[in-house]
Amino acid sequence: MTRLFSLALRNLFRNGRRTAITASAIASGLMLVIMMVALQAGQYADMLRIGISTMAGHVVVQADGWQEEREAEMLLTDAAEVTAQLAEAFPDAHVTPRLYLGGLVTSTRSSAGVAVRGAVPSAEAAVDTLDDKLVEGEWLADDDDRGIVMGVGLADALQVEVGDRIVYMGQTESQDEMVSRMFRVRGLFKTGGVELDGMTGLVTLKAAQELIERDDVAHQVALHIDDPAESPAAWAKAEGLVAADGRDVLEWPDALPSLVTFIDIDRVSGDVMMAVMGLIVAMGVLNTVLMSVLERTKEFGVLMAIGMQPRRLGALILVESALLGILGSLLGTIGGALLTAYLVAYGIDYSSMMGETMEMEGLVLSTLMHGAWDFDRMGAYVVGTVIVTILAGVWPAWHLTRLEPVDAMRAA
Amino acid sequence: MSIVSVRGVVRHYKQGDITVKALDGVDLDLEPGEFTTLMGPSGSGKTTLLNQIGGLDQPDSGTITIDGTEISKLSSSQLADVRLRKLGFVFQSYNLVPVLSAYENAEFVLLLQGMPAAERKQRVMETLAAVGLQGMEHRRPGELSGGQQQRVAVARAIAGRPALVLADEPTANLDSKTSESLIDLMRSLNSEHGITFLFSTHDPRIMDAARRVVHMKDGKIVNDEKKA
Repeated sequence: MTRLFSLALRNLFRNGRRTAITASAIASGLMLVIMMVALQAGQYADMLRIGISTMAGHVVVQADGWQEEREAEMLLTDAAEVTAQLAEAFPDAHVTPRLYLGGLVTSTRSSAGVAVRGAVPSAEAAVDTLDDKLVEGEWLADDDDRGIVMGVGLADALQVEVGDRIVYMGQTESQDEMVSRMFRVRGLFKTGGVELDGMTGLVTLKAAQELIERDDVAHQVALHIDDPAESPAAWAKAEGLVAADGRDVLEWPDALPSLVTFIDIDRVSGDVMMAVMGLIVAMGVLNTVLMSVLERTKEFGVLMAIGMQPRRLGALILVESALLGILGSLLGTIGGALLTAYLVAYGIDYSSMMGETMEMEGLVLSTLMHGAWDFDRMGAYVVGTVIVTILAGVWPAWHLTRLEPVDAMRAA
Repeated sequence: MSIVSVRGVVRHYKQGDITVKALDGVDLDLEPGEFTTLMGPSGSGKTTLLNQIGGLDQPDSGTITIDGTEISKLSSSQLADVRLRKLGFVFQSYNLVPVLSAYENAEFVLLLQGMPAAERKQRVMETLAAVGLQGMEHRRPGELSGGQQQRVAVARAIAGRPALVLADEPTANLDSKTSESLIDLMRSLNSEHGITFLFSTHDPRIMDAARRVVHMKDGKIVNDEKKA
């Protein structure tokens, strides 16, 4: 085996140009794949981070059934107690109770539908980025039960500015009475998201509870931890603490199933694309290995004539392919790692083509796309590349073992 | 005991609709230490017979025994082993491996035989010296003249100490001076080291040097002349 290895190495080094070209083709393909994996991983990480912070938490406590039905009356009672218990058990985390209401807002000039989020503004600011997107006015104070912060699209629809008054109209939780309440616009945010900017308003939790005339309720108490990798442990701990009849305690993959499914599907379609790319690289390698075998047919005939076993010749071709694959993959891995490091640090800025933000699955993402490391997938593609290049050598190797020395030596 | 024993070997080829009788019932024995040449016009069956004896091709019928091993029915893998252990080849167009140096070409058979590195190095150096290529060990075929390349081929053929060296028109691509020098080399390897040679050739100088000349025509041996 050592002899075969050194022979294969010698063949590769002494056909330096061919080796360099093939290894470069493998390396370029792998680099591209690693870069795409990094960009996908970065995008998924962004989507999950934003999805978790705006639509859920790493762990959420909700009324039984609210996850599926989203009915306004599916309320979590004892929201304050659940919030306090989680806050005590996770002193470094952020705990945000939320109450979601739908209704109509009117100004003196116009009216529009609204999705109201009742929350603790300071807690929301700690986990969400809405407060960073304020373009006018101020973020809501925790005790400002008459204030509302809304998206610029909604403000435009209502033709209001910071300081103007609006009136919210909706139903009580029992749905037997209409309620209305005046709010003063404290600030406007602009995220770039159609739904967020055009329909969303944030009020204090207490104000939202008063609108439905229910004390101490929420639709969701969300726990946000610093290290997402700890979320399974956080979920187990939270469940042990607050699980009860009528309550669901969910970890984020269960709380954001459509987002997780979207990412899974996107990842699979990415894999299919990269498999096609792998096939193209494999055909390139197959072409090179086959050409090198055909070009050396006479040489192989001589080697067989002087006593080399046909199967050892076949093995030699496989070892050459494997070494080519390893060399190409090594270069590709180094190149891919450097590219990924760049993408992690600086990202690619698509803002000139797509604006500052883009919306995907209801999430507003930055068009400055950063990469992220996904060692499992990147490693799988590196190993896959080596396997594909070895497989590309199988047919030429088999072809060799079928040759008769006399016929092979007659080759031009 | 004969080193080569060919009995009733028949080999036919199809060329379109025509069957060519390349060998038509050939019998031949070679004793150890012989320096024998196969003579005959083109198409007489010389190269085909060499290929049969060298296990590079297999007969349609008949038997071939090399140094006690009947090779006619061996698998391609077993034949490769016979070629490795018992035979050496010198081809008309040298057929060296272009990416290997003179040293590496001569060493290749020993590598395949699994000879330890130190012994291998000594054997290669001795063999290259025996064919007059001292100082040229690291040159590749492209950096050597035709005569030097054929000497490397001879070194490769004899390095593994085979029972028999088969040489197919070894001087056909060489000028007369180089041919004579190569014939002298092979003659001395035969007389001093007892290496058995079987040639196919048109070269009268090899015929003059040979102690036995086997004449072939139309796939048959028509004359077997042993010189005194």
